[in-house]
Amino acid sequence: MISQDKIRLMAQMTYYDEHVGKKNRNMASYFRGDYIGLQVLKSIISATIVFLIVVALFIYYDFEVFMKDIYQIDLMATGKNLLTIYLVFVAVYSAITYIVFAIKYRKSQRNLREYYRGLRRLGDY
Amino acid sequence: MTAFVAFREQLKLIYSRYDFYITAAMKFFLAFISLIVVNSKLGYMERLKSMPIVLLLSLMCAFMPANAIILVTAIFVILHVYSLSLECAIVVAAMFVIMFLLYFRFSPREAISVILTPICFALKIPFVMPIALGLTGTPSSGVAVGCGAIVYYVLRYLSDGVTTLNSIEAENAIQKYRYAVDGIINNKTMMVVAVVFAFTVCLVYTVRRLSIDYAWDIAIVSGALGCIIFLFIGNIIVHIEISALGAILEAIVSIVICKGLEMLVFHVDYSRSERMQFEDDEYYYYVKAVPKITVPKRNNTVKKIAHKTVNHSNTKNVRVPASAHSAEK
Repeated sequence: MISQDKIRLMAQMTYYDEHVGKKNRNMASYFRGDYIGLQVLKSIISATIVFLIVVALFIYYDFEVFMKDIYQIDLMATGKNLLTIYLVFVAVYSAITYIVFAIKYRKSQRNLREYYRGLRRLGDY
Repeated sequence: MTAFVAFREQLKLIYSRYDFYITAAMKFFLAFISLIVVNSKLGYMERLKSMPIVLLLSLMCAFMPANAIILVTAIFVILHVYSLSLECAIVVAAMFVIMFLLYFRFSPREAISVILTPICFALKIPFVMPIALGLTGTPSSGVAVGCGAIVYYVLRYLSDGVTTLNSIEAENAIQKYRYAVDGIINNKTMMVVAVVFAFTVCLVYTVRRLSIDYAWDIAIVSGALGCIIFLFIGNIIVHIEISALGAILEAIVSIVICKGLEMLVFHVDYSRSERMQFEDDEYYYYVKAVPKITVPKRNNTVKKIAHKTVNHSNTKNVRVPASAHSAEK
């Protein structure tokens, strides 16, 4: 006898499995701290690349002036300013990453719990 | 209305049956339209304008993840701009890289908005995107729509400035580069529209989640009105290039399109909504239940006509007509 509830449950679980299940299981293979730490690390790398691109674009914009004044620029002060901007940028971006991926991790845990509950229900049929 | 609901149910049925082919076809058309729009708006590299290349790339995108469309379109744009000027291509490439690195790492699904928003601009229905994403997405979708608006205005600026760029001598590379960067940084219209779109997404999202009747309809109208009002405020503050009549017409068309989207995604009957209140040991529950508008399914009578095989231990198999055991549902 075909159980419609069982088929519905199986369909829901297959849908979940095919869409976000793999991603969620991948997330769950990490401890929360490790997963968020990895994402923050990726964000620091991304932010560093973006910062370098923006600095390069600005230098190229005033390239002639930059080359002319390169020996008159206070390199220490400019470096300090750039470093401050870089650190603030990376800190803000990392904080946003932390919040976003903490929420994502919590959601994936909740979804996985639902999924395993479904599996147990399926086993009871 | 019943006919529309029946049509929607049919659509669902067809989609669930042929979802692989329909998804592939939709990706193909999206890629095709994106590349055609890029070719028509920029189109500086003749080779990329050839139809076989466009069709081949679209076909390739049909069987790849949706984000491949963005990658292909971005490369297409960069190559076209490269034909115009290497310096501008560097600026455009840097813009795409920054967007992908900073934002689309968080929500790759919304990256498609970067393509859809400029397409909507080209079709003169730009308000559709912030309203539609406010209805179906989250407040973070506002960033994606904002990025789409930035892409559109950068490409428009470069497309409008072809004569100026060509008049600058080839040796004066920095001049061309400055022209591109200045166009992006000093483009007030772009900044205002990007911010207005992001605000509109948040506004529509907030209104449609309110526990009021016709929340989606109110959200659509408030989104369209919000767009116009925010743009007019932007116009007063920084004097942007916005046509008042054009904005109102675009808003009306956007309302109609988003209403169609609402009927497909969230079609409910508020006249039959019910409010319930109950409690358990820990909470009081205030529940509002709004029934979906559906058409009753037809009761099909299924008659089994298959033959049933009966095993007799000491004789050959005897086939018994199923009509003797038929059951009607």
